[in-house]
Amino acid sequence: MNNEQQQLTRKDFLSGTEPKWCPGCGCNVVLNRLTGTFPLLGIPKEKFVMVSGIGCSSRFPYYLNTYGFHGIHGRAAPVASGLKLHNPDLSVWVATGDGDGLAIGGNHFIHLMRRNVDIKVVLFNNQIYGLTKGQASPTTQVGVKTKTTPFGSEEIPMRPLPLAIASGATFAARISDSDPDLISEVLLAAGKHKGIAFIEVMINCIIFNDGAFKALTDINVRAENIIRLKHGEPLIYGTNKDKGVKLNGVRPESFKLGAGGNADSALVHDIHNPDSTPAYLLASMEHPSSPVPFGIFRQVSKPVYGDRTMPAPSDTEVEKLMMSGGNSWQLDDSGNIGTVDP
Amino acid sequence: MSYKINEECTSCGACEPECPNAAISQGDTTYLINSALCSECVGLHDTPQCAVTCPTEACVADPSKKETEAELLEKTKKAHPDKNFSGSFPSHFRK
Repeated sequence: MNNEQQQLTRKDFLSGTEPKWCPGCGCNVVLNRLTGTFPLLGIPKEKFVMVSGIGCSSRFPYYLNTYGFHGIHGRAAPVASGLKLHNPDLSVWVATGDGDGLAIGGNHFIHLMRRNVDIKVVLFNNQIYGLTKGQASPTTQVGVKTKTTPFGSEEIPMRPLPLAIASGATFAARISDSDPDLISEVLLAAGKHKGIAFIEVMINCIIFNDGAFKALTDINVRAENIIRLKHGEPLIYGTNKDKGVKLNGVRPESFKLGAGGNADSALVHDIHNPDSTPAYLLASMEHPSSPVPFGIFRQVSKPVYGDRTMPAPSDTEVEKLMMSGGNSWQLDDSGNIGTVDP
Repeated sequence: MSYKINEECTSCGACEPECPNAAISQGDTTYLINSALCSECVGLHDTPQCAVTCPTEACVADPSKKETEAELLEKTKKAHPDKNFSGSFPSHFRK
């Protein structure tokens, strides 16, 4: 068995179905890197489940040669939670998008994060509804013209990463489709994390929202606009590594090394910090007012949902519980509610 | 000089359907160009189509595989035996 596991390769996890995503879509990148990560986790193929809702990203289960569940819109989180609780041996992954996970599934999203169920959530954020051909989503930026916002979107966009951290996510990371090596690194760390893992992937929708993340992904300019987070290292960025980020009160602020301080005054990134505030502040940094961090923001150990009730109660125990108190009822022969004898 | 795909490739797959010679396939971490089939689009387009499409500028000329325009045209002819390449034809050598 062990030998068999070691021989698993990326191709073992591909179903062979040709992805229906547009050529050039970042979803292809994540599929490529996720299938490359699965063999490294040391989990047998039949223990993986990919659950999804509705959307471009939610086509994911079809392309994986693992168990999968293409659920209804926004409901990937409850389906995945149920699966994981009933069969804790499974490695349960959720593929969702900014529409599926944050609009119709926004409520489930918050509760999934706070419960700390052992599930890995990959949220493909392209700031648009791609599958339905280009309507504004909860993450569409102010002023962006879409089919439903012909004069530019007026809504203040939702920020999935700060939301996840504020809701109690024990693992939170951000990656982009232009940095495949970071995708592999983060997915591997998420796969090994015990508890909820939330990963926001910035995906360029080349058809309906092309260039939405250009400043963060274009090879010529991105070094000036992004920070690669590394645990235990100061936040230094820039083409010449000449800028740093420090905390000014509760506001992360960029400064030039030399003029505004040296590398020692830069904030040192600590993913295991029990206090989620620094991670929240970093996650709130947005282009163009500040550089945007990529990588793992937070990874802490907390009791996982389901652990306290394991081993699961047996059917007789449940029946005994149901019949023991005054709040349970027994149906009589004709189906009417009778009373339970004390 | 056939083209190659460097490590900037994110495996998005944009180039694969654009290649007129079907020289591009998916590798483990990046897409790959089969240099035996790549004709730099000589005879078909005035710029190599993979390089035009690639969002990360990962499709670049491979300096280790230098070929003349005539050699490249031969490769195109082989890939498209039904097409006629007499007279003027598009090529990035002639821009």
